[in-house]
Amino acid sequence: MAAGNGSFDAIVVGTGISGGWAAKELTEKGLKTLVLDRGRMVEHGEYPTANMQLWELPYGGRPTQEDIDKQSVAERGGVLSQATKHWFVNDIDHPYIEKKPFAWVRGYHVGGRSIMWGRQSYRWSPMDFEANAKEGVGVDWPIRYEELAPWYGHVESFIGVSGQAEGYEQLPDGKFLPPMELNCVELHLKQALADKLGRCLTIGRTANLTAPLAHSPQRGTCQYRNLCWRGCPFGAYFSSNSSTLPAAEKTGNMTLRPNSIVYELIHDAKNDRASGVRVLDAETNEQMEFHARVIFLCASTFGSTQILMNSVSSRFPDGFGNDSGELGCNIMDHHLGAGASAVAEGFDDKYYTGQRPNGIYIPRFVNIGKDKRDYLRGFGYQGGAGRSGWTRLLEDPTLGADLKTKAAAPGPWRMGLTGFGETLPYHDNRVTLDRSRKDKHGLPVLTFDAMLRENELKMRKDMAAEAATMLEAAGFRNVHEYDGGDVLGIGIHEMGTARMGRDPKTSVLNAWNQMHACRNVYVTDGSCMTSSACQNPSLTYMALTARAADHAVQELKRMKL
Amino acid sequence: MNRREAIRRVALMMGGAVSAPAILGVLAGCSAEPDTEAEWKPTFLTQAQVALVAEVAEIMIPRTDTPGAKDVGIPAFIDKMLKDVYPEDEQAHFFAGLADFEAQAKRQHGRTFLELEPALRTALVKEVHDPAVEVERKATLPVAERDRPFILMMKELTLLGYFTSEPGATQVLQYRPVPGAYHACVPLAQAGKGKTWATETSYRF
Repeated sequence: MAAGNGSFDAIVVGTGISGGWAAKELTEKGLKTLVLDRGRMVEHGEYPTANMQLWELPYGGRPTQEDIDKQSVAERGGVLSQATKHWFVNDIDHPYIEKKPFAWVRGYHVGGRSIMWGRQSYRWSPMDFEANAKEGVGVDWPIRYEELAPWYGHVESFIGVSGQAEGYEQLPDGKFLPPMELNCVELHLKQALADKLGRCLTIGRTANLTAPLAHSPQRGTCQYRNLCWRGCPFGAYFSSNSSTLPAAEKTGNMTLRPNSIVYELIHDAKNDRASGVRVLDAETNEQMEFHARVIFLCASTFGSTQILMNSVSSRFPDGFGNDSGELGCNIMDHHLGAGASAVAEGFDDKYYTGQRPNGIYIPRFVNIGKDKRDYLRGFGYQGGAGRSGWTRLLEDPTLGADLKTKAAAPGPWRMGLTGFGETLPYHDNRVTLDRSRKDKHGLPVLTFDAMLRENELKMRKDMAAEAATMLEAAGFRNVHEYDGGDVLGIGIHEMGTARMGRDPKTSVLNAWNQMHACRNVYVTDGSCMTSSACQNPSLTYMALTARAADHAVQELKRMKL
Repeated sequence: MNRREAIRRVALMMGGAVSAPAILGVLAGCSAEPDTEAEWKPTFLTQAQVALVAEVAEIMIPRTDTPGAKDVGIPAFIDKMLKDVYPEDEQAHFFAGLADFEAQAKRQHGRTFLELEPALRTALVKEVHDPAVEVERKATLPVAERDRPFILMMKELTLLGYFTSEPGATQVLQYRPVPGAYHACVPLAQAGKGKTWATETSYRF
């Protein structure tokens, strides 16, 4: 096996939301850092469809049958289009097994899913870190909100989060750039919710710049195209490519190596630590080793889990760091697809200019204070109001010249609310490694065996019903409840398979995202999560990563790793 | 888009207030010129099918003071969509529906659809279209599971192709690729030209 080019202070595996942050923090703190990604290089600005006009995309933007054959998982998730298909993996080359349906939506390239993330950036609240302990669910988080709060602030200041400070207890304020505006229908709903139901509504908190960031001159402000998923040529939303990787690059301490599939951590039995990683070059199939004093696994929830499971040794026969047997267990996601929509009358003389890449947020109101439901935890809503366009004419009898006239006139205002529900950590919702099945690189594939359970199914009924109640309270018409069903994975918020905890017997990582059983390995992507809350998780991954990187550097200084 | 065109567009779009990231961003996105379809021949439909599809599309979206379905290349669009985007069962469904439609023309008028006078053609399209619209309005299945009849597959493709074409988006609707700002609630007449924005719709409906 070839030796890699020398050894490093740190190795970061993955360049998505978490890996980009690990790279930035470790290099800025002076560590010579090797950053590995399994996919191709994507420099900021190398976004092939970013400046295409509407009519330059073939097939009216729809994926072809050939696209769907290769990328059926992204299609299932409803995210495959001519504008975005190059950001999703080929599922034929990268298969997995579904004992129960599971949508594992992946992007193998530098920047990972930070390119096509939803950008919604919410802090968790004290309640979210306490719930497991209070209710006896799973294991207790080994940290509390107060410990993470400064790191949330650190991250928000750097990535730029636009939002409105509201003082909600269940959704703490962050360091915000100016908020985007609510439109008139959303303002009407906000008022009605406050007056009639005592509930809150705020503009989405999103990692799109509404003001320049002095520390990131390569990033411009939002131009309101709402084409973020193509990659932003203005650098106006946060991605690793536009933000953290350029910061790491600037230090001179980063060596970024794309096309580098980490398939194993190397266990050094003599010193009982991880000495490095084994890498397969995705283009040449060459195998090589790289060594470092500390390793950050940020390869995504199942990516990191797969690497750990594939790293077996006499010390770790059941997977690296898996003394507890919890590695691969406790899969969580947010369950979506239940909510309601309605038509808002009385606003037809109003319209908007610009396309806002953001919606509204209704923070959780169930199981808070005196509110008690027949299930645990809760959900928030995301959605928004807009005027319908020409697609409504499919079910309109008008044809001919009149159809053109109708299309040119903005249609009725519609308001939609979709619930994002918390999923509890169930030991039996798990992923395992099937060594009999291999991907195109000869690496064993994952088998998913996870499902929504009673608590989530009960909550979904409420997600649809409460959405309808709120739209009715606002006096909207044609209120339509829906529950399109949900399988885990569709939320693309997968979490939990190497959870943090206080006890090495029941968790993989400690309060610093450090492996209980191997102190120089940190895992800071979604796999570390002990519960899922109902807020979008990326901001929390970033804060945990920055906090863990700080800890690792201090431990290195104390010669403890 | 070539570099010169890219710079011209940025300047036009942003009214001179062009930041360095903006210019770099647009240049980075430059790619090959889009295909032209001057010498187009169908690759999936027969010439006879294309002729019928073209006339039905033109009845749905005719040339007025703005281009019509044929002007923007809807027949070529439908040929390509059916061939590459639609699965086999939906292709078969389209062809069977097209044959039924032609059979209905013969049954009612003793002539093929294309042999009918324009007014009769329009009447036949309406006759098939309106009940199908009624069914669609009452549909509760997810869009992907609806078995839309030929006339609505035609309409869906015609609407999609037309309103994502440059003339449809810029002349019938209004198109502003880089708005630069967001104003949440303005009087309709002050929202650009007061027309529907071309850029904010789903390609699946």
